[in-house]
Amino acid sequence: MDFLLLTHQLSMLAGGSIDGDKRPLDISEWLGVTFVGLGVVMLALVLLIIVITIFGKLFEALDGYEQKKKAKEAAEKAPRPSAVKAAPPAPAPKAAPAPAAVQEDEGEIIAAITAAIAMMGEADGTVYQIRSVKPAGGVSAGRSAWAMDGRRQNVAPF
Amino acid sequence: MEILQSILGGLWETSGLYGLTQDWHCLIMIGISFLFMYFAIVRGWEPLLLLPISFGMFLANLPVVNLEDAIFHASFWNEPQTVDWFWKVLHDGGLLDKLYLGVKLQIYPCLIFLGIGTMTDFGPLIANPKSFLLGAAAQGGIFFTFLIAASVLHMSAAECGSIAIIGGADGPTSIYVSSKLLDGANSNLNTGTIALAAYTYMALVPIIQPPLMRLFTTKKERAIKMAQLRTPSKTEKIIFPIVVTLIVALMVPSAASLVGMLMFGNLLKESGACDRLVDTAQNALMNIVTIFLGISVGATTTWSNVGNWDFIKVLALGAAAFSLGTISGLLLAKLMNWLSGGKLNPLIGSAGVSAVPMAARQSQKVGAETDPTNFLLMHAMGPNVAGVIGSAVAAGVLLSVIAY
Repeated sequence: MDFLLLTHQLSMLAGGSIDGDKRPLDISEWLGVTFVGLGVVMLALVLLIIVITIFGKLFEALDGYEQKKKAKEAAEKAPRPSAVKAAPPAPAPKAAPAPAAVQEDEGEIIAAITAAIAMMGEADGTVYQIRSVKPAGGVSAGRSAWAMDGRRQNVAPF
Repeated sequence: MEILQSILGGLWETSGLYGLTQDWHCLIMIGISFLFMYFAIVRGWEPLLLLPISFGMFLANLPVVNLEDAIFHASFWNEPQTVDWFWKVLHDGGLLDKLYLGVKLQIYPCLIFLGIGTMTDFGPLIANPKSFLLGAAAQGGIFFTFLIAASVLHMSAAECGSIAIIGGADGPTSIYVSSKLLDGANSNLNTGTIALAAYTYMALVPIIQPPLMRLFTTKKERAIKMAQLRTPSKTEKIIFPIVVTLIVALMVPSAASLVGMLMFGNLLKESGACDRLVDTAQNALMNIVTIFLGISVGATTTWSNVGNWDFIKVLALGAAAFSLGTISGLLLAKLMNWLSGGKLNPLIGSAGVSAVPMAARQSQKVGAETDPTNFLLMHAMGPNVAGVIGSAVAAGVLLSVIAY
C-alpha cells in the first residue's frame, strides 16, 4: 500500500506537476513534495556513496598491487647492486638503537632546554627554575606536545 | 520672475527631497542599509557580501520622482517576465536593473558555484563517503520547512519552495531556486528578500547552531574522537567531480547547472593543469560576480518589497529552516554513531547544512569545548561539502516538481 502511494506520488510529481500559481497546496501535494523530495535527495546521495566507495576500494586495491609490484621488482633487483653498493644497508642498524640513545641523552636535553629558558629569562629579567620534568600523559597521550601545538595553530584560524 | 519661479519649482519637483515628502518610507530602508553597513564594516559580519548588499539597498531606496532617474525599478520585477519585458528592462532599466538580470537569469549563482568548486577540497568526503548521508539529512530543513509553509501558512508552491530552500544554507542555491520560481506575478515575495534572509542566517550560523548542537548531543557523544581519515589519491579526486556530475544530472537534471559548474571548478583545480583558470575563477571572477550579485540583490530590498508581513514570514521560516536542517543532521549523525558502535561524533552532523566552512567550524568549536584535544574540523568538512551537493540536488528536486 505504501509502495503504491509512493509510486502514485512520484508519478504525480514528475515534470513540474504542481503549478507555481498563487494558491494554497492541498495535503497530498505538500506531503508528496516533503517526503518524496527528501527521499530523492537521499537516494541520489546514497548512489554517490556506493559509487565513490567502489572507486575508493578499486584505487586502494590498485595502489596495493602497484606497491607489491614495486617491492617485487626491488627484491629482484636487490642482489645485483648489492655487490657494487654494499654501504647503503649499513645505516639501518644504526637507526635501531636511537631511542636508547635519546634516553641516555635525556639529561643533556633537559640541560639544553634549561639553558634556553635561562637565556629567555635573561632577556626579560626574570629568573626561571625547572623543578620537574614529567612524561606527557593524559590528554595529549599518543601525540607529542609539538604535534598538538601545530594542530592547534592550524585549526585556530577556523 | 515667473520664469525663475517655474524653473525653481521644476527643479524642486524633480528633486529627491520632493520625493521624500511624497513617500518617507524610503528613510526607514536607508536607515536599515546604514545598520547593515555598520555590521559589515565595524562588526566584520560577512563584509564581502553584506557591504555590497547594504550599499545596493541604499542606492535603490534613494528618493526619486522621475522613474527614468531611478537606478533600480522595483516595479519592473513585479510584472510577468515575458520576452518583451526583458527588452523593457534593457531599454528603460537603470544600472542595477541591468545587473540584476544576472540574478534573474541564474548566471551569478552558477558562476559563484564555479568559484566555490575551485576552492573546495572534496578529499574528506572521498575519504569518508558516508558523510554524504549527513549532507542529505541536513536537507530535511528544506523539506520540513516546505511542509510548515504549506500546511500551516497555506502558501503557494512557488513561495514554499523559495522560502524552504533557505534551509540549504547556501546563498547561490537560494537565489537560483527563488529567481526561477518567483516571477513577480505569482507572489509578493522576491529573490532579493530570500537572498537577504539566506545570507543573514548564514552569517548567524555561529549563533544558531551551537545551542542546538549542545541540546541534541550528550557530553559523552561530543567527546568522541574519530579515526584519522585516509588521504585520497589524485586520480580519485579527478574522477570525483565527473562521477558526481554524471549521477546528479542523470537523477535530477534541473540541478545540473549548479552541480555541473561546482564540479567543473573542482575538476579545474584537481587536474593541476589549469592553474591560470583556477586563479581567475577563485579570485577575479568570484570577486566580480560577488560585487554584481551583492549590489543588485541589495537593490531589490525596497520598502514595497520588505515592509510587509510576507518578509517577516520569510525571516521566521528561514530561521526554522536553518534550525531544522541542523537538527536533522545531528539526529542522523546520532543514529550513525549508535550503529557504528560509538565511532562517529554526532557534532559533525550539523555541518551537513552547506554553509561552508562556517558550519564545520562550529563542529570543531563545540567539540573542542568538551575536549580541547579533539579535532573535528576535517571530519566535519566531509558532511559540509556533501551539504553543498545535497542542497543543489534538493534545489533540483524542487524545480522539477514545481512548474515555473
